[in-house]
Amino acid sequence: MRSLRWRGRIIPAAPVRTVPTWVLLTPALVVVLGLFGGGLALGALRSLDADPLPGQMAWSLAAWGRVLGDGGTWASFGLSLWIAGASTLLSVLFGVAVALMLRGAFRGRALASWLVQLNLAVPHLVGAVGILYLLSQSGVLARIAFAAGAIEGPADFPALIWDPWAAGIVLQYVWKEVPFLALVTLAALQGIGRDYEAAARSLGAGPARAFAHVTWPQIRPAVTGGAVIVFAFAFGAYEIPALLGASYPKAMPVLAWERFTDPDLARRPEAMALALLIAALCGALVLAGARGLRLGGVR
Amino acid sequence: MTYRPLLAAMLAAPILAPAFAIGAAAQDAPTDWDSVVEEARGGEVNFFLWGGADNINAYVSDYVGGLLEEEYGITLNAVPLTDTADAVNLVLSEREAGVTEGGAVDLVWINGENFRTMKQGDLVWCGWTDVLPNDDLIDWENPAIANDFGVPVEGCEAPWSTAQFAFGYDSARTEEPPRSIPDLVEWVKANPGRFTYPAPPDFNGSAFVRHVFYHAAGGVDGLIGPFDQATYDAAAEEAWDILNEMEPHLWREGATYPTSITQLQQMFANREVDLIFDYNPSQFGVFVEDGTFPETTRSYGLDDGTIGNTNYLAIPANAANRAAAMVAVNVMLSGETQLEKARPGVWGAPPAIDVSRLPQDLQDGFGALPQHPSVVPAAELAETALPELQGEWVSAIDAGWQENVGR
Repeated sequence: MRSLRWRGRIIPAAPVRTVPTWVLLTPALVVVLGLFGGGLALGALRSLDADPLPGQMAWSLAAWGRVLGDGGTWASFGLSLWIAGASTLLSVLFGVAVALMLRGAFRGRALASWLVQLNLAVPHLVGAVGILYLLSQSGVLARIAFAAGAIEGPADFPALIWDPWAAGIVLQYVWKEVPFLALVTLAALQGIGRDYEAAARSLGAGPARAFAHVTWPQIRPAVTGGAVIVFAFAFGAYEIPALLGASYPKAMPVLAWERFTDPDLARRPEAMALALLIAALCGALVLAGARGLRLGGVR
Repeated sequence: MTYRPLLAAMLAAPILAPAFAIGAAAQDAPTDWDSVVEEARGGEVNFFLWGGADNINAYVSDYVGGLLEEEYGITLNAVPLTDTADAVNLVLSEREAGVTEGGAVDLVWINGENFRTMKQGDLVWCGWTDVLPNDDLIDWENPAIANDFGVPVEGCEAPWSTAQFAFGYDSARTEEPPRSIPDLVEWVKANPGRFTYPAPPDFNGSAFVRHVFYHAAGGVDGLIGPFDQATYDAAAEEAWDILNEMEPHLWREGATYPTSITQLQQMFANREVDLIFDYNPSQFGVFVEDGTFPETTRSYGLDDGTIGNTNYLAIPANAANRAAAMVAVNVMLSGETQLEKARPGVWGAPPAIDVSRLPQDLQDGFGALPQHPSVVPAAELAETALPELQGEWVSAIDAGWQENVGR
């Protein structure tokens, strides 16, 4: 054990750790396994229980058969994939761009940073209501267009809310997640400094080449991590597609909730099967993301 | 691997928990009202109800809550829901987790398939209604009161209000609204993009689809009673044909439907559509008064009649505060609170009690209620009232719509 001297005092070094790692991990594991693992196990059990009455079990795969054999499930799956994929891609593009702009020194940088981070504190639901009032066919923009004589009625305004392309939902997620990804990317950018990039530029690389070959590989782990979080959230969240989504297909979480609250108790196992599908896909994605980080040679 | 026993225990816990719930049964109902009141005094009631209308929330929290506080020292906690099924699910989940008493829900505003679910799952407390002094005001001989969507009530809930479906329109925009399903189809074709309905399972959208279904079945008579697949199949084909014939002429060419009655109300207020409907027609008057709907809003029933129902108050079998919930129901069934509820500016909900059994001054009060010009009189609607169907029918029609029209 070595000790440090600081202003004449001797600061003892931390004692050598003798507690095994798994003991230190236990509290976190109990919470994760107990709450999530227990919830998943309970959900799996309920998805296999054909008897709707509480306290009785009747093993059956019928709910899984109904869910997997229903074209509506796959339409919902496709929609959720589209919402999460498009939201993530656009958020990454804009988030990284914003971070690159904010890292330099310029007049009003503090104000710009503050403005970018402003909506981090706005709840998703509040943002969704704002999008609704702004973009619906009788929203603020439609009213301005009507007053300017550009449209003759609500139906002439493009359908951005409750539309088959889920434009309103994607816009809401992008609006909300760009600051998050910008913040993550900015932290990574500030961690690596500008020396490597400056060296590349002095050796003749243009800005695009320097970004692609020098900066991007260094911030990629942080951006990938952030993107995985955004994707998993957008894929599994209920409230935005419930408020801004079309009647068909419904996003996976909305479909699961509809089955869960169906007055016919026999449909509850289908809700559990749907919820497990959502969890499985998100889990697979996080694993793939982690694997991608390792393959990228980053520890 | 050392973690296996721990993992096994975690997996087993949720499996074993429901086992403890078996054998939970409703306790016997009390027989003595005075002891109920004594037990209820100073307590609280967690009342779960659909919370989508500000005026209803105000009536429940302020007026009924005020009376309970004043007379019994009981605190009424109104818990707003977007869907009554949420409360049923909460009770069911508690039951699955072994919570057979001390549950979170003391009282729930309910009817139809949700009541059927609670009764089917033994989740509702029965046999307490005839202990209430104001039970004398209820006409249990009336089949529309004694049956909830075709399911016998049998003392498992107390009626609170009646309701009957009506259509609404803006008389300044629309001169002659359609008064039958065939007329509606023609009207929709002549006014493309100006009509739509909320997708079932929305409560009001589901009721609208049932009107089309009744028409397709040649009237409701053949649909009364338990679910019958052959009868359903025959009527369903015709019903989906009618709705699919309308679809390309609906709002957004029928590519999508609103997902809630609230969304349709906003669209009517914003003039995106020209027709509206509501199971609670007094809402039209409320929306006119608060400026959401134009003053020229008018409402009406269909020539072949519109569907009516009775809605109820139920106490879950595992409710924590049964006595206080009973006192709350008794207060809500009194002539005074039912009269207040019927006032157009308050809620405008028709009473579920038999008004002729009230003292003369209260009867006069009901007789003197002003009629809002935007709200079709309940008596006029009631001349051609159609009954609701049993829950299996409602579920089958909702699922059939999603399968054949909604996608």
